[in-house]
Amino acid sequence: MSAVFHFCESNGVGESETQDISNINMGSNDSPNLNTTTYPITRGDASFEKYIRALFTGTWTDITNMKFWKSAGAYVTGESCKAAANAVYTQPSQTPNADSDVPTVEGSALAINSAEGENHIEYGASGVSGYSGYIRLQLQTTGSTPAGAVNQKQFVFQFDEV
Amino acid sequence: MDNTMDIKLNSENNPMISLSFTWVAIFSDNTKIEQFENGIENKFQLVKDKFDKLAYFNLTDKKGHMFTIDLINGRIGYNYLLLPYLEKTNKQNVRLIFFRRHRVEIGTQDLKEKFHKITYHLGFQYLKDGKNQKIILQIDEQGNWVLGDN
Repeated sequence: MSAVFHFCESNGVGESETQDISNINMGSNDSPNLNTTTYPITRGDASFEKYIRALFTGTWTDITNMKFWKSAGAYVTGESCKAAANAVYTQPSQTPNADSDVPTVEGSALAINSAEGENHIEYGASGVSGYSGYIRLQLQTTGSTPAGAVNQKQFVFQFDEV
Repeated sequence: MDNTMDIKLNSENNPMISLSFTWVAIFSDNTKIEQFENGIENKFQLVKDKFDKLAYFNLTDKKGHMFTIDLINGRIGYNYLLLPYLEKTNKQNVRLIFFRRHRVEIGTQDLKEKFHKITYHLGFQYLKDGKNQKIILQIDEQGNWVLGDN
């Protein structure tokens, strides 16, 4: 009953995965842990999409109630962060997508499934990979977004384990 | 000849590292299952397989905190004392609630130590006047707790 949690990000056309990412900086490049000074987002543009997901290793009985939301970080004018739950991985794009705004409270959090589409991850069950579904994130700006760095954002991935 | 075996325990293969509390399940047939027996972890699934016979469920840590769920009478004990807040009426169909809630935070800036908070949720649900009621303790990793119901 002790699952080990890993935050993973996938990038590229062939899906290269990085486990245990240290941040989800969003910028003008499709890469994990990117430096926003090196890859800033031009005002009016969007960031490259981020495809992140959880991976559970170790042992447990069941993982349930997986949720994702933005917990901190105020937007500046014209800025928004879009999100989709249980997305299908495709090569990340910088074209603005039509996803919804990322929820900002637990009560309306995105419900995350397993990679196999179940609402829980049962240890050792047939065909279970230990991955959650993908969460797709994208930061979008408009021409009215002020120049300079935007505020830092904080996101929560929550789950119950037995 | 050296027959010693070098076992390197880490967070992947030594689950006790990440657990502040461990459980013991005691059944009405006088059997019990401990989460760790002889260094081997028993999965909670073994308890679920005998849920209908589960009588007591204890959660303990190394600091001396012990929480007990009495599923026969619908009571909660803390360090061998019954919590006085619960009504003592007969409760029907008392069933254990137990899980660990993980809250993992990540941001758009490097975090030297990623925030990962764990709370243990322990209690029971029962039927009262045909309605399901829940009484749950939320216990942090230091053993501080709050009691809630709905």
